[in-house]
Formats: sequence, C-alpha cells, structure tokens
Amino acid sequence: MMYFLVMIALLLAGVLIVSASDRKLSRQVGILFSSIALAIALVMLVEYLHGGTVTYSEAIPYISSFGIYIQFYANQFSIPLSLLAGIVTLAALIGGNPMREKEKATTALALLFEASAIGLFASGNLFLFFIFWDVGVIAAFFMISYLGSGNNHASSKTYLFYSILASALLLFGILLIYFYMPVRSFSIQAIEAGSALIPPSIQTAVFALLFVAFMIKMPVFPFHSWMQSAYSDASTQGSMLIGGVLSKFGAYGLLLLFLMLPIAKVYAPYVIIIAIISAFYAAFNMLKKDDMKRMVAYASMVESALILAGISAIGIFGEEGAIYGMVAYGLGIALLFLSVGSIEFMFGSKSTKVLRGVVRDAASTAYAFLFGIFAATGVPLTGAFIADLLIFIGTERSFGLVGLIPLFSIVIVGAYLYYAAEISIFDTKKGMDMVRYESGHWNPAYALLVFAIIAIGLVPYFILGFR
Amino acid sequence: MIYQIVMYGLPLAIAALAIQGFGLARRNGKYTTLLTGIILSAIAVIGGLALYRNYAFYEIGGFGGSPALFRVDPFSALFVSVISAVMVIILLISNEEEEKGIFNMFFSLVAVGALVVVLSDSILTLMLGLELVSASTVLAILNGGKRRVEAAVKLFVVSSIAISIFVFALSLVMPYTNGFTIAPISMGGISDALLSLSAILFVTGLAIDAGIVPFNLWMADVYEGAQGNITALLSGVNKKVAFIAIFYIFFVVLALRVSMFAPLFEVLAIITMFFGNLMAMVQNNVKRMLAYSSISQAGYILLGFAVANIEGLSAAFFQIIAHMFMTVGAFAVVMWLAEKNINEVGEYKGLFQRNMFAGVALTIFMLSMAGVPPLMGFVGKFLLFSSAIGTGMLILAFAGIINSFISIYYYGKVIAAMAEGTDKARLHMRIGLGLAIGLCLVVIVVLGIYPQPLISVVHNSVLSVFN
Repeated sequence: MMYFLVMIALLLAGVLIVSASDRKLSRQVGILFSSIALAIALVMLVEYLHGGTVTYSEAIPYISSFGIYIQFYANQFSIPLSLLAGIVTLAALIGGNPMREKEKATTALALLFEASAIGLFASGNLFLFFIFWDVGVIAAFFMISYLGSGNNHASSKTYLFYSILASALLLFGILLIYFYMPVRSFSIQAIEAGSALIPPSIQTAVFALLFVAFMIKMPVFPFHSWMQSAYSDASTQGSMLIGGVLSKFGAYGLLLLFLMLPIAKVYAPYVIIIAIISAFYAAFNMLKKDDMKRMVAYASMVESALILAGISAIGIFGEEGAIYGMVAYGLGIALLFLSVGSIEFMFGSKSTKVLRGVVRDAASTAYAFLFGIFAATGVPLTGAFIADLLIFIGTERSFGLVGLIPLFSIVIVGAYLYYAAEISIFDTKKGMDMVRYESGHWNPAYALLVFAIIAIGLVPYFILGFR
Repeated sequence: MIYQIVMYGLPLAIAALAIQGFGLARRNGKYTTLLTGIILSAIAVIGGLALYRNYAFYEIGGFGGSPALFRVDPFSALFVSVISAVMVIILLISNEEEEKGIFNMFFSLVAVGALVVVLSDSILTLMLGLELVSASTVLAILNGGKRRVEAAVKLFVVSSIAISIFVFALSLVMPYTNGFTIAPISMGGISDALLSLSAILFVTGLAIDAGIVPFNLWMADVYEGAQGNITALLSGVNKKVAFIAIFYIFFVVLALRVSMFAPLFEVLAIITMFFGNLMAMVQNNVKRMLAYSSISQAGYILLGFAVANIEGLSAAFFQIIAHMFMTVGAFAVVMWLAEKNINEVGEYKGLFQRNMFAGVALTIFMLSMAGVPPLMGFVGKFLLFSSAIGTGMLILAFAGIINSFISIYYYGKVIAAMAEGTDKARLHMRIGLGLAIGLCLVVIVVLGIYPQPLISVVHNSVLSVFN
C-alpha cells in the first residue's frame, strides 16, 4: 500500500500551498493538511491492527546505479511513530504561533518537519533515512534560528554544528555498511539479514560512528550541550517538535542499529552504563534550573536515557518499551513544552522565581502542565507508565538489578517538577497578573495531546497489538 | 538531419561566437548581449542534441593529413552544453555592465576558449583554449575600471606563469606524443624520471588555474577584487575548464601511468579540502568566504580524480556540474548584495525579511555546497565519498566527510545571520538577476531530488572517453 508515499506527498504539497497562501489562512490550511495526514495514519493503524500482519510497501526505483529504491515499511515501529509525529504536529499547528507575522513560516516548517519525520520513521532503506534525517534537521534549525527568541542565533548555530556532525558520521557509517555488505544494499531488511557477514572490525567502526551520531540527536551525555539552549530558545512549536519528535530520530536510529548489527550485543553493557550516567546527569542538572523550558528540556533528556536503556536491553521487552517510550514520552514532552510556552506568552516569564499563581488566571494551562508532569513521570493511566514498566522489565532481565538504577532518576525529575508546579503555578496566595490577555488556541491542542496520552495509557493494544 | 546540424552547426556556431566576439568592440546596447545569448543558447542546444543522439565520436580539422584538432564525443558534448548554459546564466546576471559591448566581446572570447578546451583533440588547441580563457578574463576584469586593475594584474601574472609551466611540461613529453593528439602516449622510450617531472609540471600549471592548494593564493584576492559576474565566471567556468584539462592530460594522455599519479591527487585533495575550509571559517567578507569554499570544492573534485576509476571520475564530473550552478547562483546573490554595499556577514542580518527570495535562494545554494540532501551538492558528495569507500580509500573518504562537516560552520554563520530580525528597508531585485538565480535553483533542486538521469549521462560520457 502506498499510504506513506501519499502522506509525504500530501504534506510536501501542503508546504508549497501554505507558502503560496495568504498569511491569515496559512494556519487553517496547515491544520487541514496535517489532520488529513493524521487520519491516514489512523486508517493505517486500524487496518494493520485488523489484519495483524506487517507488510512492506512496494519499491519505486530511485537511483538505480546504487540500487536505491523509494520504499516504505508499514510495521510495528513506523505506524506508532508516524502517529506520534502526526499528533504532535497537529497539536503544534492548532496551538498556533502567537507571533502572527511569522505564522506562515511556522506552518510551512511544521509541515515540512512532519513530512521528514514520517518519511524517516517509515523509510525502508538507509539512504532515504539519511535524506529525511537531514531535511528534518534543517527544518528544525529554522524553527530555532528564524522563529525562535532569546539567544536563538547562538543556540541555533550550536545546534547546527552538532547536527551536521551527526549527519557526517551517519553518512560515513551508512556508506561503510553499504560497501562492506556481501551484496551491496541500503535496504534495512537486507542489512538485517546479511550484516553478520560484515567483518567485525568494520562492524565496530560502523557501530561507533552511528552510535555517536544517534547519541547527539537523542541527546545523551556527553553529546547533549546543544540541547538545553536549543530547546529553550526555539519557538513553542519548535520546542514541541524538536523535543517530542526530532529527538526520537536518534532513538529510532539506535533501535535500528541494535536490530541491524549483531556486534551491538557485545557493547550493550557499556550502553546501559552510558544510559545510567546520562539519566542522573540530566536529573541532577535539572535541579539547578529555574527556567521552566530548560527544566522540561532536562526531563526529556532523562527520558531519552530511559529509552536508551530499553534499547540496550535487547529482546522483546526492551524493544517494545523503547517504542512505547518514544511515543508516550514524546507526547508528554510536547504537552509540557506547549503549556510552558503558553505560560511564557501570557505571563512574560518562564522562571519559577518570577511566576506565581498561574492557576488563578490560566487554569487550563496550569492543569495541562500538571497532566504533562503525570505523563512525563509515568503515573498509571498515562502511556509513560506502561513504557517504564516494559523498559525496566527488559533491563532487569538483561542486566539484573543494575538495570533498575535509572528508575530513581525519574523520581528526582518528578519531585522537582511537582515542586516547581507547587511554588509557581498552584500557590495562589501570591498571584501575579498576566502580561497579555489574548489567549492562543491552546485548549484544543491540550485536549488533543491529553486524549492521546490517556488513549495509549488505557489501551496498550494500539502499540503492542502488532504481534 | 540532426547529425548534419550537430556536425556543421556546432563549429559554425562557435565560429560565429568568435567572430562576433572580435567584432563587438566599441558597440554598446542591448543587441550585443542578445546576440551573444542567442548564439550561446544555440550552442547549448546543439551540444544537447549531440548528447541526446549519443554520437559516438567524430573529428573536426586535420587538414592535409595532419592530426585532428577537435572532436565531438558524448563527454565534450555534455560539457559544451553545460558550459554554454552556465554562460547564458552569467550573461543574465551581468546585465548592468557599463561598457556593455566591450564586456560582451571578452565574455564571448572566454566562452570560445572554454569550448575549445572541451572540444580539443590536440594538446595544442587545449593550450590555446586555456590561454584564451584566462587572457580574456583578465581583459574583462580590466573593463571594470581602475579599481579592478589590481585583480586583473594578479590574474594576468599567475595565468602567464601557469601557461609557461604548462608549455615546459608539454615540451618534455612532446617527442613521445603522436603529433600532440590527445590520446594515450606509449610509455616505451620514456624514462620514469622524465615522466614524473613532466607530470609534476603539468599539475602545477593546471593547478594554478584550478585553484588547488598550494597554488591557490591568488584566488581570494582576485575573487574579491573582480566584478561579481566575473567572479561567478572564474569560479563557474575557468576553474572547471582547468579540471577538464587535467582530466585530458592525466587520464587520457598519460593514461598508462595513472596509478603513478593517483597518490599525488590524493595528497592534493586532502590538503586542498582542509585549507579551503579552514580559511573560509575565519573570513568575514562573504565573497572571500565563497572564494575559499570554492577552493575546498576543488578538493572534493580532486578526491574523485584520486580515486581514478570510472566511478570516481564520473562523481567528480557530476560534482563539477553541480558546483557550476551552485557557485554561479551564490555569487549572483552576493554580487547583487555587494551592489547595495552589503559585503560582511554582519551586514547580511535580516535578509529573509528584506528579500525572502534572495535569502531562501542563498540558503539553498549554501546548504547544497555543504552537502545537505536533497540538493544536488549532496548527490555529488555522496557519489564522491562512495566511490572512495568503494575502492577502499577510507581515509580519503573520511577526510572528505569531516570537511563537509567543517563547512557547515561558515555557511551556518551566514544562514543564521540572514534569519535574524531587522528593521531595515526591503530590497528589490531586477528581473534578469532573479531569473538567473531561479534557473540555478531549479537545476539544484530538481537534479538533487531526482539525480538519476544526470548520473547516468555523466557516467556514459566519461566512459565514452576511454573507448
């Protein structure tokens, strides 16, 4: 079936139409295209849950001298992750950019980013994976540099520097795989089948290159220094898409790497150590922050580390947990960024030292933030609970009790986020006045994200029903 | 019928170009520009026809039993077509010359020289073509008035040195050639010492024109000092013609000892890439930055020559074609901004707001030069790196990939500056310039998204030279 091709073509057409359309209409047009894409993804989900089989879409010749095809896989990874991309983009577009003069650019970039994300999650070969990866990286770059605020130019440059380093390593690794395969191929399926015949030294080199590239993107300690400034200086939509979806590019790539290269098993114990260090590093760094956007950024880094732990566990629990985590944490982080962005817009500050009593004037935003904390910390009935459960069962099976250590980093994250919410949002004794009373279209966007989080929390079948 | 058009039309059109070139002096007005444009377009079309009908090979000249002077084969037809097309674009951007008639005269002569080099079947015609290109360029720079004299003199001095070294090198191997024909010379009587000396002198003579380190020190000064359209010409045509000459000399005339020279190209490629990129990082003047970036691009092209097989050479020629369009487009934008006294990176602030089209175009050209997919520059680099990895030259490929990562630093600096906000007035672009930039953009994007046709055309043309 050509679902993925239709979705991507539709979204790219949307980018062109939005660029050509009137500024006032651009948001509506963008919402239209994004909802059609989400609807297609839902149709696909229903169809595959009914059929129960995982199928591969047919291939169209693209660069035949290298045997490169345009091929998309509809499987247990690509469908949930496309849903994540679709929901977060739609929520970002519904929320809208309060900076009206840049609304057109916001919408066009969001649609371009959604197309690249869906293409990346569904791509059937590493060449397409790389192309979509870079398109997403560049779209996100403009969300920081052109649409962002604060110190956005410096942070966009740091972001670009790290991202292109990741792309360079990724390209080198992909080319090494291609040329050292017994039969040269970019196809992920072919690589999974034949990679055992790649010489171990080359496998190690490829693993090192791709692992660093994906660590940069997730981000994981010690390659995270682009993260906090990029997340906090991007526009609200940019933060939602970068934190919620772009960071999952790296996580998904890492999952593929562990599936593709047999040598990854040898390095798994080192990977879990990196995950533990990264989780606690991020959690303790978070305690120093009073900027709420940076707090959320570090929370997302802790969750990236949990996903990394799940991937390193190898086996059914870790893998399912990682996918579940990508979707559930992605939605939660997007909700947190959206509510913090709205608070910043309405109250003119995002610092816990300044903000007081947000709940008095902006109740829906305050409760959305609280629900975002639930979703991020894995309170039962949210998706993250099931993700944590699967990930820690997986890590305990593979590494014993050591695998449970990262659990305590969530406790730190949860405690500090609740503390922040307590002093600056729910303490109504010392209220502060809003700077702007005009509100965005935030409520429907909150509703969409909250609904999605509860839906996958209540019915894990949506994601686990593929096998 | 078409065979006749190609057979007689091509030399006739080139002769017409030469005659009108010599006859244009002292004439002003639009009509000389129009005439030059029409003849160049006709040559591009005829070259395209020859390529499309895939004429194997035919020779022109060779009167009275002497060896032929020119030949038409798929390779030369391809580059006749591409060079004429690029020159039409450069003609479009040089619409504002003061002494238009005289400029068009020198411009036509540069075109004639370039086409002579591409079509030459004899080392003598090749040499004359190279000399015609550089001498006419010097005169065209002088046409720009007194402040251009420095650049013109610098170019004149280095190109005279280049051509005399070339002649010296030629004199060493002359006795062994078959009447100067561009065909492999037999290695029977020739000693290795003589051959090496001659090869080193050939490289030196041609590397000066091609801007290969360490013979590149003139480039940044001349690029900065010359008029914008001449800079585009230098980077888009003169340099590429020198590469075609390197190809003819080393891979056809000295073909039997290619394995001896390939390591030389490898060293030069690595030095050139690093030098160009590292120097570009510290530049503040965008024109100088592009000059150094053009040096690093010469390094990428040499990387393909160092690989020295069909894959490497066709990758190099793909990259040559890609860089022609990227560099002409980028210099067109930079030239237009220089007319408005905008030269430094800091002054590029807010270009997106001041003229969206120019900002987006320059961004796409720069991303393409940095090798970001899905643009034509990425395809070229992908082909180059994969040809290097495919022959096991991992260090060379890694050097190339690291360099394409370094280059994002300075391109990103310009792009980030353009994305900043500003309150300065909007800028307006004249139609001819916009059309030229638009043409380059279309080529870069279309052949970036669907490169297969050009890849196979270039591959077949390079193959045709060896048959």
